[in-house]
Amino acid sequence: MADSILDRRLVIVTGKGGTGKTTVAATLGLAAAAQGRRVLLAEMGPDEHLPGILVRRPGPPVGYEGRELAPGLHVLRIDPYEALAEYLGLQIGLRGIVRRVLRNPAFRQLMEASPGWRELITLGKVWHVEQLRDERGRERFELIVVDAPATGHGLTFLDVPRVVGSAVRAGPLRRHAGWVEAMVRDPERTLLLPVSLAEELPARETAELVTRLREQIGVAVDRVVVNAVTPPPFPPDVPDLDERLAALPAGATLPGAPAPAVLAACAAHLRARHELNRRWTVEIARTTGLPIVPLPRRPRGVRGPEDLEALAGALLAPPDGCAASAAPPGRGSPREPAT
Amino acid sequence: MSSTRLDPAALVRTRRILVCVGTGGVGKTTLAASFALEGARAGRRTAVLTIDPARRLADALGVGALGNEPIEIPRERLAALGVPPAGRLFALMLDMKRTFDDLVTRFADSEESRRRILDNRIYQHVSDALAGSAEYSAMEKVYELSEREDLDLIVVDTPPSQHALDFLDAPRRLVEFLDSRLVQMLLHPAFAAGRFGVRLFQKSTERVLRVIERVSGIAFLEDVSEFLLAFEGMSAGFRERAHRVQERLTGPQAGFVLAASPAAESARHALGLLGRLDAAGVPLAGVVVNRVHLWPARAHPAGPERAGRRGGEAGAPDPEVDPTPIRVPDEGRDDEACRALATLLARSGAGFDAEAAARAALAAGDVYAAWARADAETTAELAARAARAGGFVRRIPELSGDVHDLEGLAHVARWLFAPGSAGGAER
Repeated sequence: MADSILDRRLVIVTGKGGTGKTTVAATLGLAAAAQGRRVLLAEMGPDEHLPGILVRRPGPPVGYEGRELAPGLHVLRIDPYEALAEYLGLQIGLRGIVRRVLRNPAFRQLMEASPGWRELITLGKVWHVEQLRDERGRERFELIVVDAPATGHGLTFLDVPRVVGSAVRAGPLRRHAGWVEAMVRDPERTLLLPVSLAEELPARETAELVTRLREQIGVAVDRVVVNAVTPPPFPPDVPDLDERLAALPAGATLPGAPAPAVLAACAAHLRARHELNRRWTVEIARTTGLPIVPLPRRPRGVRGPEDLEALAGALLAPPDGCAASAAPPGRGSPREPAT
Repeated sequence: MSSTRLDPAALVRTRRILVCVGTGGVGKTTLAASFALEGARAGRRTAVLTIDPARRLADALGVGALGNEPIEIPRERLAALGVPPAGRLFALMLDMKRTFDDLVTRFADSEESRRRILDNRIYQHVSDALAGSAEYSAMEKVYELSEREDLDLIVVDTPPSQHALDFLDAPRRLVEFLDSRLVQMLLHPAFAAGRFGVRLFQKSTERVLRVIERVSGIAFLEDVSEFLLAFEGMSAGFRERAHRVQERLTGPQAGFVLAASPAAESARHALGLLGRLDAAGVPLAGVVVNRVHLWPARAHPAGPERAGRRGGEAGAPDPEVDPTPIRVPDEGRDDEACRALATLLARSGAGFDAEAAARAALAAGDVYAAWARADAETTAELAARAARAGGFVRRIPELSGDVHDLEGLAHVARWLFAPGSAGGAER
């Protein structure tokens, strides 16, 4: 199995809401493009969020056609209705009529109530883009990074080709769903990258995600990104620094710096967050049996390309063996179950 | 509009329905539970409708093994949290499928049409895990609860949704759908065929539908028509109800609270949501920004004022926006503050490198200050927008641990409901 995330053709980034999926997807896209690759970065929500953190002046929406926002980095937002129009247009030609009908509100209502097609057509678009070749037969995009819906939706999203494949007996749709499913399940081509926080709820959701990926969907997953980890705050010889600070004489002040009591509160918070993060990082490694890629919490959050550049090194580093080795010794390679 | 501004405490005392909206991962469920607990503390009979609570929060609320009906939290546990005898607290978790099925059962005009709907493939998809049905089911449950005379306050945690306002929009969309020409045409093809405009529409629509059928290999039209026919008998009841639900949710008895987090990505989502609430004419009661890093002088409202110099001389910037300026010494650089702290620490004990410890302490202050500043910046725009819309703003500091029990809720409540709490900087 490939070792670098960037060696895949397709990387699908998912995770619980608020874990930083978009940040991770954007970081991957930017880093790969900086290495000179032709990259496509796709998002799927109703609003565009990628351009705002990829470049300082994002300009008009990139939309369904997409735009090259940085050298080698093409960004688009896959709207399911646009994708459906494109698909039906390719299948049957009647582009004008198709577009008119798809714009009809009542038809939309009908489609809103119809299951699965959104997910299938979106993945179908990804498949279509993966197939694109230029006149010399080169892949139009060497790496495709998808900022997928949050976990709940994300799993349905990946499972749809299989469901359609089993529900529909014959016809073009079945054939196409089969192609999409083959792409998603090919471990050489596709990697699913879960993003978690080292906290209770995201940790549990990540464990469920990985289990279902293995048992039900069969998509390769070989590491978990744990985002916004608070670094250890104190030197090893004073693990209780915050308590020592708090025990200093009340009313003590420091020239040009916050009082020791304030520093004590800051330090106690950092220590507690660090311990919480460490505990849940170990727990994620244990429940998933996967190596962990920790990303440090950015002091100012993630706001622009400079933050993404700063995170790239940590994201592309080999997965953290320490966290994985927290599993009991004597077991096989933690990656085994993923295949 | 600002004359009607209510703070969170007044909100839980006066309104009948409180809806917490927000994108995923911002602590909406915890917030809803906190509002509900405060409602009970105010002596009201309160129900909180949660969608997907954390296991331990569910256990804490006593809804570990829950049904689709309100379960009362034991009185003795509430009494310990300051809930007076008049106050009661119920919790329930939404069971989408059950709620939808109950609705069909209520409005179906015959046993036969009830069966036909429940067995229809389209219905099964719609009522199952489909986007939109969670929203509609939640709306329906809210309405059902608001009809009950034994409840004073209903607090709603909305489903995590890509379009977080689908919730409010669900009934209108359902009605529009049922009234649409497409549906009418599918229901009454003979009638529609006689009208030229409809015929034109029908022709192209049917063509596309047929193509979809051909491509998909699914008897799409047949299922849809059958579903709609079965639905027709109950559509009047549905329509009437959807209308009333929406009226109640946008009326004076309801209040919407937007939950947000100061993480840049999350704050952007929240701003987008505020715009949509405004466009939909929804009365915003306020914004709660969760997990904010407040500068310690503010972060311990109950404790003694230990911050030393806060902001310095008169006219200094608010420490919440701009924490006391910190000068962190570089490695090995001789620095006055670092030396002073090292001396203090060295006096407190032995066995460690006091200078390295002093540097680490100052660095911790620096890291925390950077977080506090960043949070203040990202929430400033949210706060300004909320204030303009006549809503309150509350900031809840980040806890060192997870919030998963009643004590955690009480912590949130302390910040949410404290009169003139520092978290409520309304500017």
